[in-house]
Amino acid sequence: KREIKVRKLDSTKVQPLKSEQLLHIEDHDFALRPGFGGSPIPVGIDVQVESIDSISEVDMDFTMTLYLRHYWKDERLSFRSNKNKSMTFDGRLIKKIWVPDVFFVHSKRSFIHDTTVENIMLRVYPDGNVLFSLRITVSAMCFMDFSRFPLDTQNCSLELESYAYNEDDLMLYWKHGNKSLSTDEQISLSQFFIEEFSASSGLAFYSSTGWYNRLFINFALRRHILFFVLQSYFPAMLMVMLSWVSFWIDRRAVPARVSLGITTVLTMSTIMTGLSASMPQVSYIKAVDVYLWISFLFVFLSVIEYAAVNYLTTIEERKQLKKRGKVSGMYSMDAAQAMAFDGCFHDTDVDMDLSPFPDPCEENETRASQTNISNEDTPRLRRRRSLKGNVGRIILQNNHVIDTYSRIIFPSVYIVFNFFYWGLYM
Amino acid sequence: MPYFTKLLLLIFCLVLLVESRKHRRRRWTSHLDVQRASHIFKKNQDLTKARKGKTEQLLKIDEHDFTMRPAFGGPAIPVGVDVQVESLDSISEVDMDFTMTLYLRHYWKDERLSFRSTNNKSMTFDGRLVKKIWVPDVFFVHSKRSFIHDTTTENIMLRVFPDGHVLYSMRVTVTAMCNMDFSRFPLDSQTCSLELESYAYTDEDLMLYWKNGNESLKTDEKISLSQFLIQKFHTTSRLAFYSSTGWYNRLYINFTLRRHIFFFLLQTYFPATLMVMLSWVSFWIDRRAVPARVSLGITTVLTMSTIITGVNASMPRVSYIKAVDIYLWVSFVFVFLSVLEYAAVNYLTTVQERKERKLRERFSCSCGIPHSKTMMLDGNYSESDANSLAGYTRNQMVPEEEKPEKVVVHLAMSNESNSSRKRGLKGHVGLRIIQNTHAIDKYSRLIFPGTYIVFNLIYWSVFS
Repeated sequence: KREIKVRKLDSTKVQPLKSEQLLHIEDHDFALRPGFGGSPIPVGIDVQVESIDSISEVDMDFTMTLYLRHYWKDERLSFRSNKNKSMTFDGRLIKKIWVPDVFFVHSKRSFIHDTTVENIMLRVYPDGNVLFSLRITVSAMCFMDFSRFPLDTQNCSLELESYAYNEDDLMLYWKHGNKSLSTDEQISLSQFFIEEFSASSGLAFYSSTGWYNRLFINFALRRHILFFVLQSYFPAMLMVMLSWVSFWIDRRAVPARVSLGITTVLTMSTIMTGLSASMPQVSYIKAVDVYLWISFLFVFLSVIEYAAVNYLTTIEERKQLKKRGKVSGMYSMDAAQAMAFDGCFHDTDVDMDLSPFPDPCEENETRASQTNISNEDTPRLRRRRSLKGNVGRIILQNNHVIDTYSRIIFPSVYIVFNFFYWGLYM
Repeated sequence: MPYFTKLLLLIFCLVLLVESRKHRRRRWTSHLDVQRASHIFKKNQDLTKARKGKTEQLLKIDEHDFTMRPAFGGPAIPVGVDVQVESLDSISEVDMDFTMTLYLRHYWKDERLSFRSTNNKSMTFDGRLVKKIWVPDVFFVHSKRSFIHDTTTENIMLRVFPDGHVLYSMRVTVTAMCNMDFSRFPLDSQTCSLELESYAYTDEDLMLYWKNGNESLKTDEKISLSQFLIQKFHTTSRLAFYSSTGWYNRLYINFTLRRHIFFFLLQTYFPATLMVMLSWVSFWIDRRAVPARVSLGITTVLTMSTIITGVNASMPRVSYIKAVDIYLWVSFVFVFLSVLEYAAVNYLTTVQERKERKLRERFSCSCGIPHSKTMMLDGNYSESDANSLAGYTRNQMVPEEEKPEKVVVHLAMSNESNSSRKRGLKGHVGLRIIQNTHAIDKYSRLIFPGTYIVFNLIYWSVFS
């Protein structure tokens, strides 16, 4: 039994008609577009970009959230109204009427937000004009060129097209020309500077299906370089400068100079590995690769330079010793000198073997205790001293040259390289 | 007798056959009849079935057009909103967003849903009824992903009061954008907000407001984050304008988060400080230990470089300097300078040495000079010669540190016993030489720590 109750005159119920009756939904066949069989229907598009969520270099895509609005006229939805105001309906009504089937070309994933309900707005004007708005997040492909990374600018675009209706059935156009594209006030990316947003349109041809109207949302992104300067360029520069420190250290400190050179090579290698983790594996050289590899080369050359210095020193020594008749390369030195030479701690004076491959620390110690006694021989000392005097002077003068030149050549070549690099890429 | 029993048996079988066939026919032809027949039994007085009407009949759903809002064509319908925040799930610096789970409640009045009731109590309906009635289309502006929880069924509550008031509640998890400013990271405070707005209805159709003003926002007692301290939650409301569609009511849930610094102290600041202090150790090591000082310096540089790389891995790539960057780079510069300082010390030592050698040779060639005479020149006993390949003379050794045994041996070896004169000479010249190159180290031992402490004082007072 239905309950019959007397309804109060409810001011909220001015129009007792249902929306279906209002818009004649039963007569409306949503499978047929407005003007079916006739001229193409013009559909205007308006886009407000809410945010660019992320740009991924590895996947070469970008994610954007936007409000997409369609404007078209459907005579079948016109209704009588005395004040000419539009009526807003619930989003679920679109299942019952015809709507344009716009899709995003080259998109990977997209969805219409549906919390708390599907983010859809349908507004119908009395003359049949319809405003249909959606909130969408779309991930679309963007072909990126990294040959100038990280001093690069990427151009990406989001493309809209109707899936089924070609140019003869549906004409897609920007509603307000170039002003159809607006952005939220706070749109910004952490790593990029958004240079410009522009709208353009074109025609796309598909061999099987014909010509379609395609609308483009183009934007250019310029990368902020400070992060990469701090992360890659600056450490690399410092490592190269550190490798120059080796030219100022006495060339007799073999372990010191070698460990300095090799540790800077190791740090450069770590810097290079750290950067390539977040990059796609492209088949060409990037700008940052050029810088890092040349810096690596400088550091490498400083190690080779010291190897040359050391080798030439040893050769000279041997030549001089052979000339004076001394066969072995034994020198008597005090503890401090020996420490500087081989890095092992000595507390007594030793007889050092200055051959290219010096003995390890323990052997030197044992020899030291043996030679302590013989050091008291003054005449021998005198003669040794005299020989050492001339020979040492000659050796010092000869090989110091490479170091002296390197102290000037390496920094200046590096500075010239920097001028070229930054001048070319900036 | 047996004949009769056989007949009886036959009749019995025939009856059984006919009965079974009858049943089968009935099952296939008329279900309803069978069902009704099988279900006729006396019902107990069931208290749960007080009202025999279905919900559709109760709320008159068939007449309810869900596509039209209450008071369609008339004044704007006011919709009150109430939020209880269940948890803040995560804050992501790299994506610059936050994830929140909340109970979102809507309150409005729809006359079409009013029903007659004697006790004026509300009726709670299943969540699936929402599909058949009109509900406000509130969405979260600037949200990236969101969903209504649906375990075990959609977490939706619909409660209708007899006069048509509706309470519509749902449990939602939303991930929304939050612009974060990292210029003071990790000593920063972030302010984020979640924005609610109706998607389709403008200010003239739907008025969104906080139901209880500032009390509308409640939080669970245990809400807390591991890395942040939640300073305050408060609500505001504003109007938002869209050029194509008009003015909309927008409600804001604002909250402020202050970062706990302890993790970054342990992870980044403390290791960097220790590395800098370790580089100062090099000034106290004898400057003749070249490999030791060089490798100490270079290894601290390498460790600082690793710490810097580690911090940047979990951070977004911003275009400005962060507070932690300043600290790490200044520490890196300190460590770098200690390496340069030792290069300078070493270089100056070598230069000094060469000068002295030249000075000595100007007097005569070194052959034939008695041992004692050379002592007079440089004021120090040198057992082996300065011109040897290793080249560091005894001159640099602090005379006081000589072992007593060696002193005795040296004295015994000298041809002339002018020990007093030796010591005197040693005093002046040796002291001068030690002062020349040792000075850089001595000053560095004071300057480096002093400057670093001053930097720390300035840094922590500016950023804390």
